Amino acid sequence: MKAVGRLQSWRRIAEWRLFRSDDRLLMILLALVVGACGGLAAVAFNRGLTALFNWLEPFRGEPWAFVLPGIGALLSAVFLHRAIRNSADNGVPNLIHAVSRQGGRMRSRSILSPLVSSCLTIGSGGSAGPEAPVVVSGGAIGSGIARLFALNDRQQITLVGCGAAGAIASIFNAPISGLVFAVEVILGEWSSLNIIPIAIAAVAGTEVSRTLRGNQIAFDHRLFDIGLPDIIASAGLAVVAGLASVLLTRMLYRIHRLSGKTGGPVWLRAAVGGCAVGFIGMALPVVLGEGYHAIDAMIAGHFTPGLAIVAAATLAKILATALTLGSGGSGGIFAPSLVIGSLAGLTYHRALTMFWPSVEWIEEGCFALLGMAGLISGMLQAPLTGIFLIVEITGGYEAILPLIIVSTVSTTICHFLEPASFYMKDLVERGQLLRPGTDARVLSDMQVGELLETDCTVVSPGMRLRQFIEVIKRSRRNYFPVIDPESQRFLGLVRLDDIRPYLFDPLLYDAVVMGQIMDSQVATAGPEDDLNEVLQHMDAARLFSMPVVHQGRFLGMISKATLLDRYRRELMVQTHWR
Amino acid sequence: MDLTLSQIAGCLNVAEPTLERWIRQGRIPVERIGGECRFNRAALERWARDHHIHFSLAAAETEPVVAVSGGLAEAMRRGGVHRDIGGDSIDAVLKNAVAHLTMLPPPMQYELHNQLLSREQLSSTGIGRGVAIPHPRSPFTGIADLPLIATCFLDHPVDFNAIDGRPVFVLFILIGDSIDCHLHLLSRLAFCLRDDAFIDFLRNLPPAEALFDRIATLERPLAESGY
Repeated sequence: MKAVGRLQSWRRIAEWRLFRSDDRLLMILLALVVGACGGLAAVAFNRGLTALFNWLEPFRGEPWAFVLPGIGALLSAVFLHRAIRNSADNGVPNLIHAVSRQGGRMRSRSILSPLVSSCLTIGSGGSAGPEAPVVVSGGAIGSGIARLFALNDRQQITLVGCGAAGAIASIFNAPISGLVFAVEVILGEWSSLNIIPIAIAAVAGTEVSRTLRGNQIAFDHRLFDIGLPDIIASAGLAVVAGLASVLLTRMLYRIHRLSGKTGGPVWLRAAVGGCAVGFIGMALPVVLGEGYHAIDAMIAGHFTPGLAIVAAATLAKILATALTLGSGGSGGIFAPSLVIGSLAGLTYHRALTMFWPSVEWIEEGCFALLGMAGLISGMLQAPLTGIFLIVEITGGYEAILPLIIVSTVSTTICHFLEPASFYMKDLVERGQLLRPGTDARVLSDMQVGELLETDCTVVSPGMRLRQFIEVIKRSRRNYFPVIDPESQRFLGLVRLDDIRPYLFDPLLYDAVVMGQIMDSQVATAGPEDDLNEVLQHMDAARLFSMPVVHQGRFLGMISKATLLDRYRRELMVQTHWR
Repeated sequence: MDLTLSQIAGCLNVAEPTLERWIRQGRIPVERIGGECRFNRAALERWARDHHIHFSLAAAETEPVVAVSGGLAEAMRRGGVHRDIGGDSIDAVLKNAVAHLTMLPPPMQYELHNQLLSREQLSSTGIGRGVAIPHPRSPFTGIADLPLIATCFLDHPVDFNAIDGRPVFVLFILIGDSIDCHLHLLSRLAFCLRDDAFIDFLRNLPPAEALFDRIATLERPLAESGY
């Protein structure tokens, strides 16, 4: 073993003896790197966003300020569609798609493109969140590093999760939320193989953020003293938050579809959507941008407007977010969900104090906080992410009881009304969401080519029944493909079951040839066909096996018996972890 | 030991593309050194055990399906030709015939006789034209030289409840060590006995060598067709 030979290329780090003994060690090291990079991306993005927002601040008083979000959305759309000719890689759904269908492979340009386009959208005042772009960027960094070291798919997926965890952990200074978000939302699989590197990445991301930005809790507040009435009332808030989540989800999709139908260039649609947001912002400035300042004010109890205005602001923020993102702007739903959640919480609190003024309710800030948990849990349909995020960003463990109630009830309501969360809806509709260990996942991994039975005896169309009986005697199968001896084309299939009556009739032995008795209308599958579709076809036609034919050539048979055997093996390999 | 991917796929009883995918997806323990994959046997076996997947290196050498070997003539040589078997009933004839099979120890002869009789009680093995093929109901084990066919000419024809009612003059006692082997020999023997000329030949009580030669000639086309 020559160490020099192995060290000559630093990219071959995965082959060092230290890591060959156990790849978990390698994963932990890489997770550290990926988490830190994700954290750095988050800090850099945050700095850029703040700079742009502050630079535009003087213009916000001008009467034409409403066009600012429009210009931002326009530039963002132009950047995505013209400069990098790619509009599809920038959302969390794409990250989940990459994890679910592509073994975690993401394009390298996804490291930068979401950051730039979202910075334009949000910095100019569009109502969108800075988290999704950072998460996607972090995931793309993880994927890039995995490819650099030629890691396998499972490890690559873990590193994508690490990048996402590092990003979330860094943005919110919240390591547990990063970990839970990556596992619950991005990977959808709780296994120690994933959790350990992702936890390390979350720590790295958080530490990067703390070093560069200081260790501050995002939304600090006074201690809440929560009583029984508040806990009971939180169930009602959960319903409000759940409904608000469903409304936001549906409106986002509605406007997206509407915008798609109207036609016209993408940048124009984005600009129109942005300007509409600008108009709303003229009346209710709280809807503009990511909205973290507004959340701060609401939790601290400094948000003064009355019930009607807060309720209107809640709906306006939902509309503004749907307009920004649905019309082509770039960004996420994390921050808008937090703003909508705290607005909804505030609305609910004001309504409570109006109807039951005699009860001594807790401060409105607490309900703002609970509303955020409800919205996040509802939008992502990820209760744990909602609970941990709010606990960490508010530093308020004392609210944990109503927090759990709001998160779980809101998730349940959303799941009942919208079976798939905002991130997954599109993927589920396209049948692209394949969580590990599920039937669809196992089937999509297996290729028709892996199931081929090639030990079939091939016969020619001119073969007489007499000769064929000799073939049957020596064969172990009940299916005999008929192949043209000259062109080698597949002509049809002889099934033993179909010709059984003739086998015992010696008069036919020389009178019948294979070409006459074969089934030439037999349904065939191709080697590239989707296994799920092949199976559905077999079920519909009540077939037990099918010939696989590629460009007229017979490749083999595919049968349910082999499929069961291989399916079971695949399931065992996919679901048992060491 | 160097194994190819397809051999390891064979050990695990999966297709080669499946194994390649498992390597790519990181589902199977493997060291990748440059473009080469290296499996550690112990790690692979542990992995297979953890996943309840059967793994055996023996399966790598794909054993060809062993055709039931050995021809009729060899089995008949092992069984020998016996003449002048006395007796007036199925029981007596079988008892005397078995007594000639000196390669079997007496307790086994007794066991064989019982088994042959119980088979005759199910239905006669007299297949017509004076021939019977007594055989035990289940494969006979515990004898070294199997399969064997003992040719026993009777000193006078005996009523055997044969399907055509004709008395039997010759017995072929067939002892196989497996059902496959049993059916294989039975089928070849039946093929030979369809030949009228061969029956006539048997009626002339041919010497042992002549009989074996004749059988070898008859079964050659069968052996060549692989059946």
